[in-house]
Amino acid sequence: MVVTPRYIHQLDKHLRLDRIPTLYCPGCGLGIGLGAMLRALDKRISEGAVDRNKVVWVGGIGCSARMAFYVSYDSAHVLHGRAIPFATGVKLANPELTLIVVGGDGDIAGIGGNHLLHAAKRNIDMITVMFTNFVYAMTGGQVAPTTPLGVKTTTTPHGNPEPPLNIIKVVASLNANYVARASVTTPHYIEQFFYRALGMKGFRFIEVVSTCPEVYGRRIGLGDPVEMYNELKKRVKYKPNPTIDEALIDWEKGIIIGEFMVRDNPSYLEIIRGLK
Amino acid sequence: MGATYSSLGLITRENQRYRVTVIVDRCKECGICINVCPTKVLVKSSVLNKFGYHPPEPAHIEKCIGCRLCEYNCPDFAIFVEVASK
Amino acid sequence: MRKTFASGNMAIAEAAIVAGLKFYAGYPITPSSEIMEYLAEHLPGQGGIVIQMEDEIASINAIIGASWAGAKAMTATSGPGLSLMAEGIGLAVMSETPIVIVDVMRAGPSTGVPTKTTQADVFQVRWLTHGDYIIPSYIPWSVQEAYDLTIKAFNTAEKLRTPVILLSDAVIAHLWEPLVIYERGEVEIIERRKPTSKDNYKPYMPGDDLIPPMACFGEGYNVLVESLTHDERGYYAPTNTYHKNSVLRLMLKIVKNISYVYEQETYMVDDAEVLLVSYGSTARTVYAAIRELRRRGVKAGMLRPKTLWPLDEERIYNSVSSRIDRVIVVENNMGKLFLDMKRIFRDREVYSAPVLSLELPTVKEVIEAVEQWL
Repeated sequence: MVVTPRYIHQLDKHLRLDRIPTLYCPGCGLGIGLGAMLRALDKRISEGAVDRNKVVWVGGIGCSARMAFYVSYDSAHVLHGRAIPFATGVKLANPELTLIVVGGDGDIAGIGGNHLLHAAKRNIDMITVMFTNFVYAMTGGQVAPTTPLGVKTTTTPHGNPEPPLNIIKVVASLNANYVARASVTTPHYIEQFFYRALGMKGFRFIEVVSTCPEVYGRRIGLGDPVEMYNELKKRVKYKPNPTIDEALIDWEKGIIIGEFMVRDNPSYLEIIRGLK
Repeated sequence: MGATYSSLGLITRENQRYRVTVIVDRCKECGICINVCPTKVLVKSSVLNKFGYHPPEPAHIEKCIGCRLCEYNCPDFAIFVEVASK
Repeated sequence: MRKTFASGNMAIAEAAIVAGLKFYAGYPITPSSEIMEYLAEHLPGQGGIVIQMEDEIASINAIIGASWAGAKAMTATSGPGLSLMAEGIGLAVMSETPIVIVDVMRAGPSTGVPTKTTQADVFQVRWLTHGDYIIPSYIPWSVQEAYDLTIKAFNTAEKLRTPVILLSDAVIAHLWEPLVIYERGEVEIIERRKPTSKDNYKPYMPGDDLIPPMACFGEGYNVLVESLTHDERGYYAPTNTYHKNSVLRLMLKIVKNISYVYEQETYMVDDAEVLLVSYGSTARTVYAAIRELRRRGVKAGMLRPKTLWPLDEERIYNSVSSRIDRVIVVENNMGKLFLDMKRIFRDREVYSAPVLSLELPTVKEVIEAVEQWL
């Protein structure tokens, strides 16, 4: 017997309801980010700017990437770090599709770093949303490319000896058309930036700083969801029209959110169509 | 106005303008909605959902201004606000 | 159809075009780069796209993505590149994605000799990635066969929803021979089976042939490509029932079609007493060697598998008469197919005659290798 779930919440029509509740921990910021993205997508679909049947979500491996299979769209849950090249193949084989890549900081900027670099360089038409929670959460709390210096994670029990990566600066220095950062403590900005990205072409990149109270927060004394949310909120500061140099992401000094790069460089598809 | 706990697993309360609904079995008791509400409408209820969590209830619904910060900041699609039909 | 003069690499590229290739992603590696170069020139004119990716890992993932968007997709590489593609090939197996990977073998291990050949990747194409699975692989011995088996590789991939590996080598890649090129309509081209209705569609619900019909992105089916062990909907299912079902079905769907997948040729076996088994470019020399052995009074015959995996063991066993009491496996590696032949012909004497040669071995080298067992 097929039971059609009843749509109660406004966003239910975008979700695979038989997989809700998600496996995310209480207070995990990923659900906030997903809700914001779905609101923006819903608006674009109602406007007729995006065809619902042509949206494809691609995720690698990790908590963030799992979003790809919670949504009721064409989706792919592929290999760790390889969502971007998979999405590249999809987009080039069928340019009418709207590609949304989701993943964590380890998946996209760690193992997938090379692919991120080249996708931004090619300005390939897709949106990549990277959720930064400063740790490899799914696997239990190992150090990630964005983990601050000195933090004790499971693989750096004596303190992380590496300074973290500022991915906004990296991606903005390449050819990407849109580079922004938001935070789960400001879901309206996630929605706004994602909405804008959906209307652009080329490579669009949004870093969403997220809370992971269970696996990361616990290591820095913020194991309670509300405490971690409030501490992150204190450090997040929105700047209108910030420059790339202002893209600070430092747990001590502050986290600047905003749209760091908005431009209209020719996208990969435009260039190859022009070359034919 | 009393809270309604219907068989669909919802806690719903409304004031003159807004209706707040909590989907009981989706809540994970993270507490973020209670924390972000600017007028302190929500409190942790004594209801135990099927996963053992206490979802919030809009106990002070008369103070709700319909800002939807609870809805936007809920990671689990467990609470939403609608304009109550007049 | 038209007759032309082409190299092995060009033949593979031409065959891919006729088979309906629409997406190629690759990375340059000797001796396969010409395939990408030829396609980069000609595929756009056929409505396809060629992109050089940043590495082989990106290439294999991109072609899997393209296949899910509905395009026939291929990549070509060599040993070191195939090693990088291991995880991606596993994804294609688990998500049942039709793709073709061309491995133009060169000398290894590691960087080895990029411009010259061996046949050492025989097991790499079988067992490269982790897990339990069967990945079909074909091995041509001439330029024409490289063409024909490329078409077969695409058909196998689409029919069985599996990755398929075509094993060429540095000799065949750069060898120029006459080639007959077909037009669409002159050869059988198989397309993946698509679902007929959206009601209750489950992406991994198999038909009676054990193969699920494949909907693609953009058609409104809410398709789910999943690398985790999954049930028919594609949802994660970490239970014994689903794991067993998954592994068994993925392997059985290939095994059930073995008479389609497995191909071989035999030469002079009717009255043979000694059987030489060989494949790929080495078989060219072994063919000359059995003629030379016949001149010397040895009743030699040759068995040449065109499919390296899976092997139709019953068919192999039955293709030779009881008059044959000795089987000698001649290969340009340290004895790989020998292990299979030893198992298949367990009631005969089976010997390994490795002929390690960076170029096509000479008849003299082959005869020296087999002499001790005659």
